Amino acid sequence: MPELFAEFGNKFHYYSYFAIMMIGLYAMIAKTNLLKKCIGLGIFQTAIMLFYVSIGAKTGAGIPIIDPAVGTADPAAYANPLPQVLMLTAIVVSVATLGVALALIQNIHRDHGTIEEDEILQRLRGK
Amino acid sequence: MTAQLPILAIAPLLFGAFAVTAGRFLFRRANYAVASLALAASFTASVLLAIQILTQGTAIYFVGGWPPPIGISYVADPLSALMLAFVSGAALCTFLASKAEIETSYPLKNSAFYALFLLAVAGHMGIVITGDAFNLYVLIEVAALSGYAILAQGRERAMLSSLNYLFVGSLGASLYLLGMGYLYIMTGSLNMADLSGIIAQLAPGGLSGSTALAAAWGVILAGLFVKMGLFPFHSWLPGPISFSAAPAAALVAPLTTKVMAYVLVRMIISVFTPDAAWSLPAINTLVLLLATAAILYGSFCALAQRSLRKMLCFILLSEVGYMVGGAFLGNRAGLTGTIYHIFADLLMTLCLFLAASNVERGTGGRFSDMGGLFRRMPVTAAAMVMGGLSMIGVPPFCGFFSKWYLLSGAITAGSYAFAGALVLSSLVNAVLFFRIFEIGFFGTPADRASPSATSGEAAHRHPEPLPFFCDEMPAARLAPLCVVAASLVAMGLLTGEVVRLVVSAVLPPGLG
Repeated sequence: MPELFAEFGNKFHYYSYFAIMMIGLYAMIAKTNLLKKCIGLGIFQTAIMLFYVSIGAKTGAGIPIIDPAVGTADPAAYANPLPQVLMLTAIVVSVATLGVALALIQNIHRDHGTIEEDEILQRLRGK
Repeated sequence: MTAQLPILAIAPLLFGAFAVTAGRFLFRRANYAVASLALAASFTASVLLAIQILTQGTAIYFVGGWPPPIGISYVADPLSALMLAFVSGAALCTFLASKAEIETSYPLKNSAFYALFLLAVAGHMGIVITGDAFNLYVLIEVAALSGYAILAQGRERAMLSSLNYLFVGSLGASLYLLGMGYLYIMTGSLNMADLSGIIAQLAPGGLSGSTALAAAWGVILAGLFVKMGLFPFHSWLPGPISFSAAPAAALVAPLTTKVMAYVLVRMIISVFTPDAAWSLPAINTLVLLLATAAILYGSFCALAQRSLRKMLCFILLSEVGYMVGGAFLGNRAGLTGTIYHIFADLLMTLCLFLAASNVERGTGGRFSDMGGLFRRMPVTAAAMVMGGLSMIGVPPFCGFFSKWYLLSGAITAGSYAFAGALVLSSLVNAVLFFRIFEIGFFGTPADRASPSATSGEAAHRHPEPLPFFCDEMPAARLAPLCVVAASLVAMGLLTGEVVRLVVSAVLPPGLG
C-alpha cells in the first residue's frame, strides 16, 4: 500500500491530467448539446496544456530569466520555459478553434432554432 | 534568391490572404486576381525549389535565421520538395477551375473564401516542409481551421457536419500534441532531425525498450489516424466533403488525407526511423488490420452510394487504408508504395473531384442525372474515365504502379489479407466506375427524355437517336482538369524516375 501511495504521490499530475482529459472526452461523446461538446473539447485541450506545464516545473527552481547572482552554470536553478511557451501557442490555437466552433454553432442555431444535436438530426431527417 | 525558396513557397499565400482580407472593401474585383497570383507565385517557387533539391540535394532553411534546436527549421528534402509542388499545384488547379463556382457558392463572401483558401493551402504546405514537431501541430491546426470554415458553406447539413469535423479534428490534433509531449519529456527536443538521433540513443534495440517512447508512438499514431480518417475514426470524413460547396471539397479532399499520410511517413522515416517505428509487432499487426478493414469498408460503402461525390468520399476512405497499410508492412516496397501512392492519389482524387464538380454543375451529381454524360460533356467525361481507370489501376496510369508496389510489399511481408483487400478493392473500383461509364454512355439524359415524352412537337423535332448536343463547361474549367488528367499518365510513365529521385533518396539505404 505505501508503494501505491508513493507511486500516486510522485505522479499525481499525470493521473490528474488523464482524469481531466477523460472528463472532456466524455462530454464530447455523451452530450448532445453542441455547446457542451465545445466545453468538453476545451477541457480536453486544457488537460493537455496542464500536462505540458507540469513537465516544465522543477522543485526549487526560479523564473527562467538569467539571474546574475546564480549565473548560467546550473540549469537546475531555472524552470524550463519551453513547455510554457509552447502552451501559449496551443492556447491561441484552442481559442481560434473555439471561435470557429462558436461561429458554426451560431449559424446552426439560426438555421434550425436549436443546438441540441438529436433535435437537429430529427429535423433534417423529417425534411 | 534560391536559398530563400522554401519560405518563398509559403510567404505569397500569407501575404495574399492578408491582401485579400484587407482589400475586401477597397478593390473587391481584383481579389480573385490577387489570390490566383499568390497561388501561382507559390506554385512557381515550389517547382523551382523541387528542381533545385532534386539536382543539388537537401536544403535546410532556418526561419528568421535562428538555427535549431532554438529556431524552427524548414527541411526541403526530395520528398517534401516534390510534395510542396504537388500541393500548391493542386490548389492552383482547383482555384482556377472553380472561379464561377466560388462566386455562386459563396455570395458576398468571396473575399473571405479566398483568404481561407490561401490559409488552408499555406497550412498544408507548412505541414509538408516543417522540420519542427511542435510547429507541425500548429500548422495542422492552421490548415484544419481554415478547412472547417470553408467546408461549412454548402447544403443544409454542411454546417453540422463541419462542426462535427471540427470536434473530431481538434481531438486528433490534441492527441498528436500529447504524444509529442511524451517525446519531449524523453528527448528534450522538438527538432525532427534531433529527435531521431536521441531516440536511436535512448532505445537502441527498438521502442519496446522504453515504455514512454512506445506510448508516444502509439498516441501520435492515434492522433494521425483520427486526422486522416482511418477506418474506426472515419465517420467525420464523408459528411463535410459531400455536403460542402464543390470548390471546398475539391481543395480539402485531395489535400487533407494525403498530407496527413505524408506526416505519418515523415514520422516513420525522419523522427522514429523505420527500424524503431516498426519495432513493436503489436502496433504493426493492429494497424495493418485497421488498414485492411478501412479498404474493405470504404469499397463496400462506396458501392451503396447513389451520388458521385458521396461515392468518391468512400473511395477516399479506402485509399487511406492503402497508404497506412503500406507504411506498416515493414519493408522497402511497402513504404515505397505508400510514398508513391500519396502523390498518385493526390492527383487521382483531384482529377475525380474536379470532374465531379463539373458534372454536378452540368447535369447534377446523382447517378440518375448522369445519363448521356459522354454526349453532353465529352471532355469532363474523358477526364473522369482517366481518373477512374487510374483508381482501378490500369497500367499506363499512376494508380497501377502504386498498387504494384503495395502488392509486392504485402506479398514480401506475407500479409495476404492486406494483399487480398487491395485486389478486391481494385475490382470494386472497376464495378463502381464502369457503372458510371455505362450510365454516361447508354443512359437517357433526364431533361431530354421528359420534354419528348410530354410534348409531341419536341419529340418530332428530336427523333431517336438523340442528336449531338454538347453543353460542355467553359474552357477555364476544363483546362486545369485536362492538365491534371494528363499528369496521371505522365506520373505513371515517370514512375521509375520518381522512385529513384524521390523515394530512394529519402529511405534509409539499409532498409530491406
